[in-house]
Amino acid sequence: MPAGDAFTPDQLYDIERAVRQAEEVSGLRFSVYVGGADEETRPFAQELLNELADPDHSVLVYVDPAGRRLEIVTGSQAKRRLSDTSAGLAALTMQTSFATGDLTGGLVTGVQQLGEHAHQAPLLHASEPHQQ
Amino acid sequence: MISLLSGHAVLVFVGIPVLVVAVVALLVFASSIANGPRYRPGLSWWAPPVWINGPAATKPDPANLPELPGAPGIPATAGTGVARTTGGASASW
Repeated sequence: MPAGDAFTPDQLYDIERAVRQAEEVSGLRFSVYVGGADEETRPFAQELLNELADPDHSVLVYVDPAGRRLEIVTGSQAKRRLSDTSAGLAALTMQTSFATGDLTGGLVTGVQQLGEHAHQAPLLHASEPHQQ
Repeated sequence: MISLLSGHAVLVFVGIPVLVVAVVALLVFASSIANGPRYRPGLSWWAPPVWINGPAATKPDPANLPELPGAPGIPATAGTGVARTTGGASASW
């Protein structure tokens, strides 16, 4: 591991694989940013989301290890598939791992969880009676 | 004869335990030595930013970042590449 890198190549591979799997399962775009913020973390994370190619259909996971802050930002369309409650549950999972120093494990598990929750599309026409 | 015995005793009773302790310590710390510094909550963060699946491999220039959506009186429009209303969650540890 080169001095100063946040993740080893194996760890990066694990996170990238979790991101790809979440994208395949959910159809949304996932992005993970790990680094400090010069300002409040939430606005900074929203700026990062807006930097993506398709921010409306994207989910950004922002981790500030120094400030010990986690932000999950969903775009305007992505939040229809991934509710704030689901994002909160994933945040709780990641928070637990981060508190023990396991950044990689928290990111992998959290991104997978986000992808799985986003996969559950809203059930439409559930109340309509069956047509005979 | 006495000096030979004492030298042998030192080798057995000091040298071997020291060797065993050294091997055990090496085994314990081998993984952390191989993996480099590890993140410890509450201590300073040493690494440059990493953006996985981002628009570029490097950190974006804050000066070039788009304006935040939802500013009062300035409704964001479709097709600007800027997410309008965002959701999500926050946490700290």
